[in-house]
Amino acid sequence: MKKTLREMRPVYVVGIGLHRYQRMSETSYVTLGLTAVREALKDANLEWRSVDSAYTGTALIGMAASRPMLRHLGATGIPMAQVENASASGSTAFRQACLDVASGVADVSLAVGVDKPGPVSSGPAKSNIRDLVGARAVPFTHFALLTNQYMNRYGVRIEDVAAVAVKNNRNGANNPYAQRQKAVTLDEVLAGPQISGALTRLQCCPVGEGAAAVIVASADAIDELGINRSRAVRVIASVTQTERVYRGAANFDAELTRATVAQAYKEAAITPADLDVVEVHDAFTIEELLYAEMLGLCKEGEGAAMVTSGATDIGGRCALSASGGLLAMGHPIGPTGAGQIAEITRQLRGEAGARQQPNARTGLAHMVGVGAVCVVHVLQNDN
Amino acid sequence: MAERVAAQPELYSISSEHPALNGRRCVACGYVFFPPQSYGCESCGALPDQIEPAQLAGSGVLNSFATVHLHQGKGIEAPFTVGVIVLDDGPAVRSVLTARTDEGLRNGDRMHSVLTTCGTNEEGNEVVELRFTKTEATR
Repeated sequence: MKKTLREMRPVYVVGIGLHRYQRMSETSYVTLGLTAVREALKDANLEWRSVDSAYTGTALIGMAASRPMLRHLGATGIPMAQVENASASGSTAFRQACLDVASGVADVSLAVGVDKPGPVSSGPAKSNIRDLVGARAVPFTHFALLTNQYMNRYGVRIEDVAAVAVKNNRNGANNPYAQRQKAVTLDEVLAGPQISGALTRLQCCPVGEGAAAVIVASADAIDELGINRSRAVRVIASVTQTERVYRGAANFDAELTRATVAQAYKEAAITPADLDVVEVHDAFTIEELLYAEMLGLCKEGEGAAMVTSGATDIGGRCALSASGGLLAMGHPIGPTGAGQIAEITRQLRGEAGARQQPNARTGLAHMVGVGAVCVVHVLQNDN
Repeated sequence: MAERVAAQPELYSISSEHPALNGRRCVACGYVFFPPQSYGCESCGALPDQIEPAQLAGSGVLNSFATVHLHQGKGIEAPFTVGVIVLDDGPAVRSVLTARTDEGLRNGDRMHSVLTTCGTNEEGNEVVELRFTKTEATR
């Protein structure tokens, strides 16, 4: 019979580390990745030789990225593999690490996301199925169309959608790992340049380079390796689904999110009211509103009003994109999903400093990726 | 003599000034879709031999639209406007609209397909592509 993550061995996040997300530089992906992994090992107070398996979430580095990076920590011979799942690569690498520990094949596992901008080798483009618009509709136009659809359907103004960027850049200004660390006003967001439809540059995420590492461990390993139990955060759901067939002009990312989140809530035995911190795939302002609604944080069509009310600010009912989200922290692809887990963990430990959501106990991380895929994790501090 | 050729003949024919789209229908489950593919039915998994051509009338309703202001693609000149049209025959399609900007467009507008000249090929033939345009009220 199938089991959920929660029905297997408990899995805990015990170490997190990042290399700042930034514009593309001369820095090798090896240096980016090692910086994050060494910080995560230090955070967990672990030696590299205690790590039993490793997954590298990366979409752009290319074939065989793991060992050329991780061998510099000492070639311990552990199983390693790359995980490519578009924007959800880091989230999926994290899921694989969780499953290794939950199943018992590893006591300690590493998920590291790393990427640098580069040529994309795209599966969908190789499927030889052409549509009418082709290359003329790139992702920002896909989301500009959804923005137009949403504004029309719910009578929402672009000022209300753009407010997401103001909130997330305010949060990013307090995140030393964020690519954008500068608070912006609504006027600055709306001033342009215009990219596509109503979307301006600051309503679109920056895509740069960086790395994020997360170490997960079993309860046994926490005891045996002397890991600080009080800083360990349990992973209570790991769920992933892929797109089904939806009719008419339905937004597939939103429908997929709705279904994936429903399964995650069931497996974690929580409701939206239990969530204190949430990170979503806010690559564009409109996405945060759509996913917040699919998460049940508010009713459909009320996302913009919820954001402008302050309910999703740090200190509000549920902090949404406390890291700055993809809009401010950035979206270097491979690292992004792992970086979300690092932020949720930091929040649930109470170690997020100026970005701390008071009394955060339960958090959720959500990513979607081209394909389309959706990955959701729920973390809880059960200390 | 120079002829007119379709930019994407697999997606539409140019025998009419208001072309239908080359959709597909699954005989097993009835699912109608565009763009066409013959790998298997996404809705029920039926094999390629269960997928048959289905002409989808080039008419529908404008669900959403966006004027692209910036584009880095080679040979793609901004601004241009992309729309999502829910066809009267069911599927939603994305198409470039004849209007370069969104001036005068409203969600819910009736739309229909037209052919627009987009260049000349190496043989000197006029290349035309399918775009959608707003259907003005006839009275």
